[in-house]
Parts: sequence; structure tokens; C-alpha cells
Amino acid sequence: MTSKNLGRATLAALPFVLALLIDLTLYAAVEDRLPDRLAVHFDAGGTADGYTGSTAYLLYAVLALLALGALWAFIAVSGKLHGRAHRWFTGGGFGVAAFLGYLLVAVLFVNVDAPEGGPADGFPLRHIAVALGAAAVAGALGLLLTRLVPVPEDPRDGDSAVRERITLADGEVASWARGVGAWWAPIAVLVFLAAGVTVGREQSWFVGAPLLLLALVTATFCRPHVTVDRRGLTVSGLLPRPRVRVPLERMEGADSRPVNALAEFGGWGYRIRPERSGVITRSGEAIVISLRNGREFAVTVRDSATGAALLNTLLDRQRAGG
Amino acid sequence: MLFRVDPTSTVPLGDQIAASVRRAVAEGAVAPGERLPAARVLAESLGVNVHTVLRGYQRLREEGLIELRRGRGAAITAGASPQRARLLERVREAVADARDLGMTEDELLALVRGELDA
Repeated sequence: MTSKNLGRATLAALPFVLALLIDLTLYAAVEDRLPDRLAVHFDAGGTADGYTGSTAYLLYAVLALLALGALWAFIAVSGKLHGRAHRWFTGGGFGVAAFLGYLLVAVLFVNVDAPEGGPADGFPLRHIAVALGAAAVAGALGLLLTRLVPVPEDPRDGDSAVRERITLADGEVASWARGVGAWWAPIAVLVFLAAGVTVGREQSWFVGAPLLLLALVTATFCRPHVTVDRRGLTVSGLLPRPRVRVPLERMEGADSRPVNALAEFGGWGYRIRPERSGVITRSGEAIVISLRNGREFAVTVRDSATGAALLNTLLDRQRAGG
Repeated sequence: MLFRVDPTSTVPLGDQIAASVRRAVAEGAVAPGERLPAARVLAESLGVNVHTVLRGYQRLREEGLIELRRGRGAAITAGASPQRARLLERVREAVADARDLGMTEDELLALVRGELDA
């Protein structure tokens, strides 16, 4: 592990370790005043309805915080998160640790000096509000702390000077088309369909119908294809509409580079993020278009180098007054 | 797959579309099973008539490079290897050269038969 990675992993795991130390200290402080059986589960009104031994409770708390800390450290190092995504992830860890750490202690404290039957005044729900507040403060603090360690930068090459071109004769018309197979799309359709019908029949068609509509739209995009031509870049499904089109006029240039679905787009499908949007069916090579408004649009497709090169060629032609 | 047509060329547009696919197969840019865009979509994209595209596709089907299935569109056949595409390309060149030389169909076929029997 490099020293940079060590720093990132330490910072990501830090809040969970801190929460653990604080919880253990407070546990030691009130240990003598705890009943053998702790009330650990409460109903919506705050009345105790679940109990566990105090040693078991301590064990669960330690394991939960350690596991989350390890998970956060692991993702911070190998999750391929860049720039802002990495900062928010680490900051979010501080929030989660504060929320969990606070609640674990709050449960202990309502049990202090309580009779065996559970605390008399139950679990005041204000604790939840306080826990959320603590999470927000800790999260903000975590975001500030991430400025101390070097955050992995986005591996992006946007140098328009070295962008590839395709040689076209004057007047020659070119079009590049490629299918984008998404093996999971038919499964998604079935899931939406089943969910729509079930919810519609059991609950309400007001919720079921939109799910069925989603299934229908996904179905037409089961085998989408990407087209690059004089009009720009188009992603279309089985039917002429709906489709996603980025006209040449909105483009600055195009590159072929690998994208990471989870880290850069937060998932799969038609993604819209603060800095970029795209049709993402997997991680891997993609046509990434730099738009004039400073955003990016990406489509994951094989042979993306040819598609990007044709886009740059068509952009040259348009700039030359075509 | 990159399609390119030059409206100023003397080669019919349908043949130019077929040549694009043949070249893509020869270069290994497309693999068997790969789908071609629907004729309507490609026609709109290139700004040509849909029948022109269909003529090109028909030609590729006769050459055994693509199969046209009702409702499923056009797809590269399992037997469409780069070598096969290159062979087709050379046959076309041979025919064009023979025409330039003023040879008749029978004369060219006799030449090919002679080579096969050798």
C-alpha cells in the first residue's frame, strides 16, 4: 500500500475508530449502573420491545463499528473514487460513524439505573434528531479533513490537439453505428414489470402504472444503438422515440476513454450527475464528449475510438463552415 | 461500424454501403453476431433513400456476410471472417479488372475454372 493510500484508508476508517473509542470509554464509565438485560429495541412511540445482554450489546457495537470502518477504508483505497466523489464518500463516513456512535451510546444511557423491565421513560425520540444533527456536523468536519490528504484526481485527457481524426473526402458522408448490448436490461424489464403488476394489484395502480411505464421504456432500450453522424450523437432504442441526442452544435470535442460506472456516474442506465451525464451500461471504454457548457456526456460502447474520431472529424468540418 | 458514402462517386451508393461493411469485417472491426443498424435508421443517418440501404444489405446477404431475419434486422453471419471479406474484395477487383480489359463473362469464368482445376 502506498503512503497516499495509507493516508486515505486511515482518514476513511478514523471516524469509526473514534466512535468506537468514545463508546467504549462511556461504556466503562456507566458499566456498574447497567442492568444485566439492556433494552435495545424500541417501537415507534419509544417504548422498549427488545432486549439483549449487556456483554452481547457491547460485542455487537464493537463489531459493527469495526466492520464499517474496514469497509470504508477498503472502498477509499480500491473503490476508484475520484475528486469530489472521494471527498463526499469520506465525509459521509464521518456522518455515518457519528450517527451510529451516538445512538449506540444513547441506548446505553437510557438503560442506566433502569429496572429490569426496561427504562421507565423509554427512548426519547429526540435522540434520533440529535444523532442526525451530530451526523451532519461530523460529515461537514470530515469533508474539511479530506483537504488534508491528497485526493485521487480524475484521470482525464481532454487535450483537443491530440484527438484522433478520420480522413474523409470532400462531400463524403459518414456515419458510425454500434449496438450497445446490456445483458442486465431484460432482467431489469422483468423486475419492473413484476414490481408494477404486484404493487398495482396489491396496493395502488397510481404507483404500479409508473413502474409499468418504466418497464416499457427500459424494454425499448434493451438493445440500444449509438449513431454518430452529421446530426451529432444519438442513442436510440427499438422505436424512433424516446431517444437521447447530443447535436454537434453543443459539442467541444470527443474522446475515447474508460469510465467507471459506479465512481463517475453512481450507477447504470441513463445517468445525470452534477458534472456529467451519460448512457452507462457497464464500466469500460466509452465515447466521452466534452460539451460547450463545460459538462460531459458519455456513452459506453465498444470501438469507441472510431466513434470519437468521427465526431472530431465532423466537428472540424462544421467549424470550417460546413 | 463506420459507414461512408460519397455521392459524387460513380460507384452506386448501395455498393458503397456494402463496401463499408465488407471493410469493417475485413479489418476485424465487427465480429459475427454483431447487428447492423436498421435500414431506416442508417438511411436517415446517411441522408440516403431507405431502398438504397436495403440494396446494399441485399448484396451483403448474397455474399454470405450478413443474414437478414424478419423482425430481428441484419446481423453479421457466423461464417463472416476477415479472410472471407478480403477474398470477396479481391473477387470484386478481379471482375472490375476483367471488365476494364474488355473480357466477356465466359472468358473470366474460364480463367477461374482453369485455376480451380489446376
